[in-house]
Amino acid sequence: MKSLRQIRFLCGKDLRIELRKKESLVSMAFFGVLILVMLNIANGVGKQIDAEAGAGILWVAILFSSVLGLGRVFAREKENGCVAALLISPVSSGEIFVAKALVNFSLMLLAELVLVPIFFVLFGARLSGDPLALLPILVLVNFGFSTTGTLVSAISAGTRRNEVLLPILLFPLLLPLMTLAVKATALALAAKPLADLRGQLEPMAAFCVVFAAAGYLLFPFVLRED
Amino acid sequence: MSEPSSFLRISGLRKSYGSREALRGINLDLQRGEFLCLFGPNGAGKSTLLKIVATLLRPSAGQVKVQDYDLEEHPEQYRAQLGMVSHQSFVYQDLSVLENLEFYATLYGVEQPREKALELLEEVKLADRYDMLAANLSRGMQQRLTIARALVNDPALLLLDEPYTGLDEHAASVLRDQLQILHSRKRTIVMVTHNLRRGMESATRLGILVRGELVYLQQKADVDPTTFEHLYFRHLEAQ
Repeated sequence: MKSLRQIRFLCGKDLRIELRKKESLVSMAFFGVLILVMLNIANGVGKQIDAEAGAGILWVAILFSSVLGLGRVFAREKENGCVAALLISPVSSGEIFVAKALVNFSLMLLAELVLVPIFFVLFGARLSGDPLALLPILVLVNFGFSTTGTLVSAISAGTRRNEVLLPILLFPLLLPLMTLAVKATALALAAKPLADLRGQLEPMAAFCVVFAAAGYLLFPFVLRED
Repeated sequence: MSEPSSFLRISGLRKSYGSREALRGINLDLQRGEFLCLFGPNGAGKSTLLKIVATLLRPSAGQVKVQDYDLEEHPEQYRAQLGMVSHQSFVYQDLSVLENLEFYATLYGVEQPREKALELLEEVKLADRYDMLAANLSRGMQQRLTIARALVNDPALLLLDEPYTGLDEHAASVLRDQLQILHSRKRTIVMVTHNLRRGMESATRLGILVRGELVYLQQKADVDPTTFEHLYFRHLEAQ
């Protein structure tokens, strides 16, 4: 109970700052839309795309825009040494990890609420799939991305080249998850039933569990100096 | 009569970074209500020592106990007694003065966090700025907010790492007054600083740390300030 309370306060603080400043959310959504528009122009406006290409386009936009928000959430803790104040307090490193991962998950979800409809407006004319069929894939990718990303952003936030280091460290780790996500999305965009996606969704869920556990266990070592 | 047990006990504390030894077997006992000021040149290990006591850094060897709670065995009870003021403010720039204190008070499980925050703002004379964003405060005001933040859990042990850094004379004298009030309330304080004058005017005990060793430790009442100054500079030159 106490842990849940602490996680709620930590999340509440981050979301309050984010809703006040809107810096992560606006930059994530704007950058994602920009990528979609550029790819739409590069493909030829109004031209037909198949489900595989559409899946790739959607995840490129989500992945690159999400990295912007991810770096910011932890960098805020490093400003003025706030992370040290948290470590001295009775909050455990695990509670900080869960709270940060939840904030990253929420920011991704909010950005996707903008990006997915715009993707369907720009590319969806020939795609037969239902946008709602993407929901389980989005949830799993957000989960894997936010847990892995929270750990990696804690590592990179202490460096001078945070913005460069974060995607360089994160993207290779996410490669298996993203490969499965693109395949599952292609099937969903081609209006395949949910049962056909099980081959992708199950390993994606396994990936999420492994990376969430690894992130939770490794986080204290990343936060505290040795 | 038996001797009173130590409030802060550091024994055989060592810290190494590879082959470089930052702390070489520090032993220190402080009674409740003592105010220790540790001086030392850059790289002497002052901040390392404070970081270990604050649980921000793991020691390579040795033991730290606050009121018989061991840092390794009872980290939660140990941390509950700590407050820290550093040259970094530990406050969120995008939260207001009141929101910052309320957030930390809530994390420490203070029963009425808003009331506690308002009470502390009165104490550090920031009550009229409660709704200002921390980013808009002057350096001196930020430092007062930092002190208020460090006191939300009513800590028995206050750690101060170069708290005078970047403060003008007025802000520094406000900080000194604040520290004297805290000391008069029987809080145990450990401060590390380069500032001889500021350190000596507040402390009850003085120490010099050189190359990771505590080479000098005395009650201030037993020390002649000029002799101490000469001694300190001799250690600096020998460094």
